Amino acid sequence: MLKLSNISMEFGALKTLNDLSIELKEKEIVSVIGPNGAGKTTLFNVITGLYKPTSGSVRLGSKEMLGLSPAEINRAGIARTFQNVRLFLNMSVLENVMSATFGRTRSGIFSSALGLKRSRKEEAEVKEKAQELLKFFGTRLTGYRWDQPAYSLSYANRRRLEIARALATDPKVLLLDEPAAGMNPKETQEITEIVGSLRAERGLTILIIEHDMHVVEGVSDRVVALDYGVKIAEGDFDHVATHPDVVEAYLGKGSTATK
Amino acid sequence: MSNLGIGTDEWVAQHEERSASQSPLKKLFARIPLWAKWGSFFVIAFLFGMFSDNQYLLRVGVNLALFIMLSYGLNIVVGYAGILDLGYVAFYGFGAYGYALLSSEQLGQHWPTYITVPFITILTALLGYLISLPSRRLFGDYLAIVTLFFGQVFVQLVLASDNITFPWADDYVDITAGSNGIPGLDTFNLFGFIFDDIKDYYWLLMVIVLILTIAIHRVSATRIGRAWRTVREDALVSEVMGVSVNRVKTIAFVAGATIAGFAGTIFAGMQTSVFINGFDLPLMIMIYAAVILGGSGSLAGALIGAIIMTILPELLRVPNYGAILFFVALLLTFFVLSKKFSRFLIYVVSIILIGFAFQLAMTAIGVTQANAEDWVVGFTGDLLKNWLFVPENRILWGNFAFILLLTFIAFFSIAKPIWKQVLLPFIGFTAIFLWEVRLIADVSTTRQLIIGAMLVVLMILRPQGLFGQTRVEIL
Repeated sequence: MLKLSNISMEFGALKTLNDLSIELKEKEIVSVIGPNGAGKTTLFNVITGLYKPTSGSVRLGSKEMLGLSPAEINRAGIARTFQNVRLFLNMSVLENVMSATFGRTRSGIFSSALGLKRSRKEEAEVKEKAQELLKFFGTRLTGYRWDQPAYSLSYANRRRLEIARALATDPKVLLLDEPAAGMNPKETQEITEIVGSLRAERGLTILIIEHDMHVVEGVSDRVVALDYGVKIAEGDFDHVATHPDVVEAYLGKGSTATK
Repeated sequence: MSNLGIGTDEWVAQHEERSASQSPLKKLFARIPLWAKWGSFFVIAFLFGMFSDNQYLLRVGVNLALFIMLSYGLNIVVGYAGILDLGYVAFYGFGAYGYALLSSEQLGQHWPTYITVPFITILTALLGYLISLPSRRLFGDYLAIVTLFFGQVFVQLVLASDNITFPWADDYVDITAGSNGIPGLDTFNLFGFIFDDIKDYYWLLMVIVLILTIAIHRVSATRIGRAWRTVREDALVSEVMGVSVNRVKTIAFVAGATIAGFAGTIFAGMQTSVFINGFDLPLMIMIYAAVILGGSGSLAGALIGAIIMTILPELLRVPNYGAILFFVALLLTFFVLSKKFSRFLIYVVSIILIGFAFQLAMTAIGVTQANAEDWVVGFTGDLLKNWLFVPENRILWGNFAFILLLTFIAFFSIAKPIWKQVLLPFIGFTAIFLWEVRLIADVSTTRQLIIGAMLVVLMILRPQGLFGQTRVEIL
């Protein structure tokens, strides 16, 4: 589904990603772990077109993504959330989700201004779709909440809204950047369930960055560990979690011996 | 609300309670349907057009309509899309000059209106497109500087294009007449209907403003409008969410330019003359003031802002109105600052006493008093002429008062509360003195001062503008 091959990303002399290759099969959930500065978010930025890698290739299906604009990559079927939740804070909850359908809709300025039937129909569809997506998270983002500005939401709800917005772009591959960061245990548990049901109900392929090992253990088919931009381990959770290099990366040299 | 279960959202649960605590006036206003609020404006405008033959008022109405078009256009660019375009007024000038060149003896062209106006409007749209190409790559202050430059380039080009020499010609060519402006333009002539009355323009503009209102309202609420606002909020995320940010910015730029260019052609036809100084920074500032005053990003705000910025300067042409506004504002300020009515009365009495003391002091040191006829303007002057001592040399004493007032205010801002209370009556008296001695007679200065002061006060009290939504930057 999504194939990254030999990606290197250099900022001057700093190699943030070094000859990295990851492949995601359809409907697979892969977690990326690694200490801070390992290059996880850089990886996401490369996939979504925000960074141009020094070398390598990103393929969605058979289509090359490198060289496309972020918007084109999104329309090809890759959506993401951000580590430091970035909503359109001064727009309503519903508008946040509706705005993400831009690439899938067609109404131009003239058909909107004239109030043509097809533009009104499209608007109604978009609205219904957005409401449907928000219902995915239970009642907390529905009803009168639809018309509230996004800044009025709590932190956890903002994270949920950001996922709903990403879903509104109709992605095939979803990239989640630390979806459980700052959540309490109950909310973290819910995120784990949501990630699972996104695949079950929507058939999404998911690449997820996460520090919470409960989430990583709960959702991943496969785990990739990065350190200094290099893949140091790959495999199922138990294999990676006990891999000596991974333990060393997190805890420092000699930790395996003293454990 | 005390027994909330785990996982129940307190904010959601309190929704009913919160909406019940709103003020009844607010609720009533919220209950009036949108079309009725807008409709009332157009009904008033319609009735005015039907029953008024006052040329001056109709002219104010036409100016207002043109100003509404400009603030609508700027509101798209700045309010919705968040593109800080400081050269916007150049599109207005381009439309006006475009019409002027094709409808006057300047180039000997007299194109029919139904061709000139669409042609020039489309040309302005193209110009907007061209200027959007470099501008859309920039943000914030960089963008502001670049667009400011474009605006000034237009002014300088028009000024310099009265004397162009070509290598193959001996004589210079005069295209724009430079600072002389182009007089004697053809008025609008649509298929034999000649716009020889200001009222013709009034009706034309009313229809245009009505259509624009509906069109912009629809666009802002749907796909393109949403995309504009996402670009304003966070262009990077917008792009990642599939919005073609560059295209959306260009659409906003072109839409704004088109409206301004169109307004420019109508202005030129109505005015039958164009002068470049009408399309320079002062007008730009007025349009920005209208959009910001009304609330950037709100269509109703752009309308109300335009109304205020058109009507207010007209009202303030009459010294009496300016005086009323000044004294009402002064009393209100004192009322707000004193918090208690009893203290407010003390302040007022203190100011009166200071006035008499000032009279005694001035007479004692032998300053000659000015004749009442020399300085009394409007009814406030009549009211105050036996109380206020106005020296003969009004310019000198007015300047003293000005410096003193600034000093007082500077001290006031850092003084301890007790000293503030002592200072306040002196500030009040100095302000009145300055007003009556110098400012009231100089209408063109005072109205700008008053408008400026009002803007400052409004922006402090309501930074989001009258109809704007509160914006949150980082949370």
